Amino acid sequence: MGYYFKTEQMSVGYQGKPLIHDIEIGLHKGEILTLIGPNGAGKSTILKSIAKQLKLIHGVVYLDKEELNHMSGLELSQKMAVVFTEKIKTELMTCEDVVSTGRYPYTGHFGILSKEDHDAVREAMELVHVTEIRHQDFTKISDGQRQRVMLARAICQEPEIIILDEPTSFLDVKYKLEFISVLQELQIKKGLTVIMSLHELELAKIVSDKILCIKEGYVERCGTPEEIFESDFIKRLFHINEDCFEGNEKLLAYIGRLGRYEE
Amino acid sequence: MLCCQGKGKIKCTIFSVWNKKKGDVITMQKKRKYRYIIAFIFLGIGVVIFLALNICIGSVRITLSDILGTMTGQETNETISRILWDIRLPRTLAVIILGGALSLAGYLLQTFFYNPIAGPFVLGISSGAKMVVALVMVFLMGRAIRITSADMIAAAFVGAMLSMGFVLLLSRRVKGMSMLVVSGVMIGYICSAITELVVTFADDADIVNLHNWSQGSFSGMTWNHVKVMAIVVIVTLIVVFLLSKPLSAYQLGEVYAQNMGVNIRFLRICLVILSSILSACIVAFAGPISFVGIATPHLVKKLLGTAKPLLMIPACFLGGSVFCLFCDLLARTILAPTELSISTVTAIFGAPVVLWVMATHRKERVV
Repeated sequence: MGYYFKTEQMSVGYQGKPLIHDIEIGLHKGEILTLIGPNGAGKSTILKSIAKQLKLIHGVVYLDKEELNHMSGLELSQKMAVVFTEKIKTELMTCEDVVSTGRYPYTGHFGILSKEDHDAVREAMELVHVTEIRHQDFTKISDGQRQRVMLARAICQEPEIIILDEPTSFLDVKYKLEFISVLQELQIKKGLTVIMSLHELELAKIVSDKILCIKEGYVERCGTPEEIFESDFIKRLFHINEDCFEGNEKLLAYIGRLGRYEE
Repeated sequence: MLCCQGKGKIKCTIFSVWNKKKGDVITMQKKRKYRYIIAFIFLGIGVVIFLALNICIGSVRITLSDILGTMTGQETNETISRILWDIRLPRTLAVIILGGALSLAGYLLQTFFYNPIAGPFVLGISSGAKMVVALVMVFLMGRAIRITSADMIAAAFVGAMLSMGFVLLLSRRVKGMSMLVVSGVMIGYICSAITELVVTFADDADIVNLHNWSQGSFSGMTWNHVKVMAIVVIVTLIVVFLLSKPLSAYQLGEVYAQNMGVNIRFLRICLVILSSILSACIVAFAGPISFVGIATPHLVKKLLGTAKPLLMIPACFLGGSVFCLFCDLLARTILAPTELSISTVTAIFGAPVVLWVMATHRKERVV
């Protein structure tokens, strides 16, 4: 069976210099892929390249059997939504205004929202629970709220695939879990394909169909959560040599040994 | 007119009462819509009132009945109809067109650079246009060749693009909005210095002409000028208005604009060319005018309560017209019969606005 999203020998990087080589990803419709790896490993670089923000150094990306480079901006925007870590700059825009910019690919020449557009905006806001803050100025809400507004914006874009760069970094526990449930709901109801990067390994383990582990410069491993989380692999990925994942005492001991602070 | 505004207010209150039953979503949208309508009515009334004042007030007073009389052809006072048709009316129309263009150019540059204190004057674009126009004027006048309005605009456009090119090169190197503006001001100084040099070496007869114009002034407008500038500015205004949707995406930052399918390269090129055409047109006819381009978009934004290009573009144009009509009226009347340079007046009212913007923007993303 053909993959919905596929990369072939993809190399990504900046200014023609490859940072990560030979990335092979294959995703069926409705699967969730999570990128994990240490800071600076190149997770964002991969996501940006997939979203066409960065030029590929080498290789091809296929979306629904069509080459990404051959798709027009409008075509792609109706299929793919993104949430990146860059803060957006807004001026006198309420959260609702920000969410409604997600309808851009569907509005007419002057970008005036129709009734259907308003409905889609409202639905998306209800889904991620930002309806209460919809009239607040986007610059005056917390980072976590902003992250949820941006997610609502991506959802009302009605994409088939969504690219998320650290979507949970500012969320508290409750919203982290809610975020996972929203993703699963969209996955089941609408067959949404998701590619995202996460720092929370526990979340990655629960939500992902596939996990891609990136170490500095190469893809260390790709597989199902069960394959990735077996044995000592995670520790090697993050350069942790000790058994800090087994109980609080060992974790504290590990932190103690890391610390340069001596009493 | 006043009655109109009153009606709007009454309607508004009726609406909000009615809406309490209908839920809060509708109220917010309608509230905004009414704010927009009232803002546009306000700007429209402003243009009409100042249009009338600018025509009536001057060394020779013209009453409204005189205007009506001349229009219907009953009034036979030769002097008054001459002043009205040959001096006041073309000048006032020019102020409306160029004031709007100036404000719109400022708005486009602010959007382009993501910089709230950008404008054609501070970025040195007006000065660049001025320099090339001065060079061309001196060169052609020395050979007794007559210059048409179109030539002036073309020369100013070349100058504007030249400065814009430098600013663009610098904008890649310097980070932060204040540094960009400082670079623009420096470019402006260089261009002004060259202009001064040229003017100093020009023939006596030309100097008077050049000197007046290089200070910025709306005087000496003819119907021919008005015709040419109206065509250029209105066409540009329409093109800008058609770009309002991609502009709204561009406002969110390039990352998201690209994801929304905006061709960023194309849009940026359009913005550079359109803002240069507008700046060039202003400089060609009225010389460099300071602060209107930076200040009015902010005032209009506050009035509308939104930064949506779809509304901002026409509102900015009207706002610039009102602001310039007001300033030109003062420039002509304060020290009559001597006329102040228009930039003197615009700076008095515009510069505080810029300071206010800088002070309030500090909290947000300003480096």
